[in-house]
Amino acid sequence: MDVRALILVGGSRAEGEEVLGGIPIGLLDVLGKPVLQRVLDRLEKFGISGAGIVTEVPPSKVPLTSGSVWPGMRWAEGEGANFWRAAENSFNDLAQAGAELVLVIRLGAYTEIDYEELVQFHLDAGCRVTRVSDFRGIPLDTFAISASRRNDAAYLFRHELREMRVPCDDYQFAGYVNRLEHARNLRTLALDGFAGIASIPPCGTQIKPGIWVGEHARVHKRARLLAPCFVGANTKIRASAVLTRGSVVEHHTVVDCGTVVENSSILPMTVVGAGLDVTHSVVGFRHIWHLRRDAEVEISDEQLIGALRSAPIRMLDSAAQFAMTLPRSMARLLLNKKPSRTPELSDAVCRPAAALKKAQPEDALETTDFLPVRRYGNE
Amino acid sequence: METSRPVVVKRVPERMNFRQARLFQQEVRPFFKADRPQIVFDLSAVRQIDAAGIDMLLECMGEASRRDGDLKLANLSPQSAVVLELTRTDRLFEIYETATDAVKSFSSFLPNAVRQFYPGVGTAPTFAWFPRDSHTKDSQSDEEAA
Repeated sequence: MDVRALILVGGSRAEGEEVLGGIPIGLLDVLGKPVLQRVLDRLEKFGISGAGIVTEVPPSKVPLTSGSVWPGMRWAEGEGANFWRAAENSFNDLAQAGAELVLVIRLGAYTEIDYEELVQFHLDAGCRVTRVSDFRGIPLDTFAISASRRNDAAYLFRHELREMRVPCDDYQFAGYVNRLEHARNLRTLALDGFAGIASIPPCGTQIKPGIWVGEHARVHKRARLLAPCFVGANTKIRASAVLTRGSVVEHHTVVDCGTVVENSSILPMTVVGAGLDVTHSVVGFRHIWHLRRDAEVEISDEQLIGALRSAPIRMLDSAAQFAMTLPRSMARLLLNKKPSRTPELSDAVCRPAAALKKAQPEDALETTDFLPVRRYGNE
Repeated sequence: METSRPVVVKRVPERMNFRQARLFQQEVRPFFKADRPQIVFDLSAVRQIDAAGIDMLLECMGEASRRDGDLKLANLSPQSAVVLELTRTDRLFEIYETATDAVKSFSSFLPNAVRQFYPGVGTAPTFAWFPRDSHTKDSQSDEEAA
């Protein structure tokens, strides 16, 4: 039987839901791979390969991982009402391409449905459309539609998956569901991935138990990674930075010196400034979603949270800096002036703290204002 | 000894970028020139605060402590609370839920705190921090002993 999938990314019913920084959560990375990619991988595991994808955001705007390529996928875009029209057209395309059954999945929720069981249920029930709902009976925006029933599909899309033309049976699913409505859900999904509750293993090499590092990631030797945590591909973790309590740093991200990331997710292409305390948050696209305070804050200051610019712009920037430095240093040479060395943060961070220096003899202590501090750890 | 120094409550503007922070600092500077200034910044209106805004707060706190005074924060908006936590500056300030709480906190030190718990103490000539009852008992027993 030719079963194909149509994945809809977008079409949220409530404003501000299922979107972070203007990008649907379904297109964002979780533990090194976009949710959409994980759904496609899962479909492929059940032998469903040909899929159509309809998004509200053009794929060019999505900061995908370098390894995320979706060969043979048909992309369609549409905003607002056009989104549902694009979905209808994509369904018709799949039907014309020879599909007998189309699984319509809206991301939306991330679910770990047994698609084989769903198809079997649909065939046994003999319905035109089968809706999937969770164990409480709440619909999950996942449907199995017979490809020949185009009118039923069109009716469903025109009513934004809320109404069906003919009443049908519900397939109740009791497995893993994450509705991915808010930043909190994204964070939960990452933690569930670490805990093995959701089958989304981190994409990277496990360098120590519970610590995964992606390709070309650079972790400074003085940075501390405490399990469980994930460092995405091409990420830089600078000196004295700490990643702890299930923190996730996605690809092309910079965590600057001395910053502590605790129980947080850093979204792709983000620069987290030096000496910060990122706790219980999702950070990215110059925003912080603080989960404990339930607040979304826009950060305009690049010193705190910035966005990593694309490689050509970074190259131009460094070339310009070099061009600026050259005449300055030549002028300094001509004037025989020594360059005034400004203390850099990275030097300051690498310098051992005064308290950790060699303890002084007792008689010397009387004359000083400092008390001896015991050395600890590996210092 | 009762403090009659005024507590100044100042509302911080909505945006605290470099320019706004400088303007605000100029505005509040006269208050910090007083002897032992007692200042409360109400951050309820703050929607955006950056490193310059945090720097301004720290400068103000430094200015206040140089003159033996204190700067407290009150009524933090979620945005300002998140940025203060992010920059680790929340642990440097005394933070109160409301400006009234912050103002009251200035008078919650001894001997004013004692006066709050034992209202009659202010009139007693000696041992002002003991309850009036115990003081009178002591004086009675002294008289008896004599």
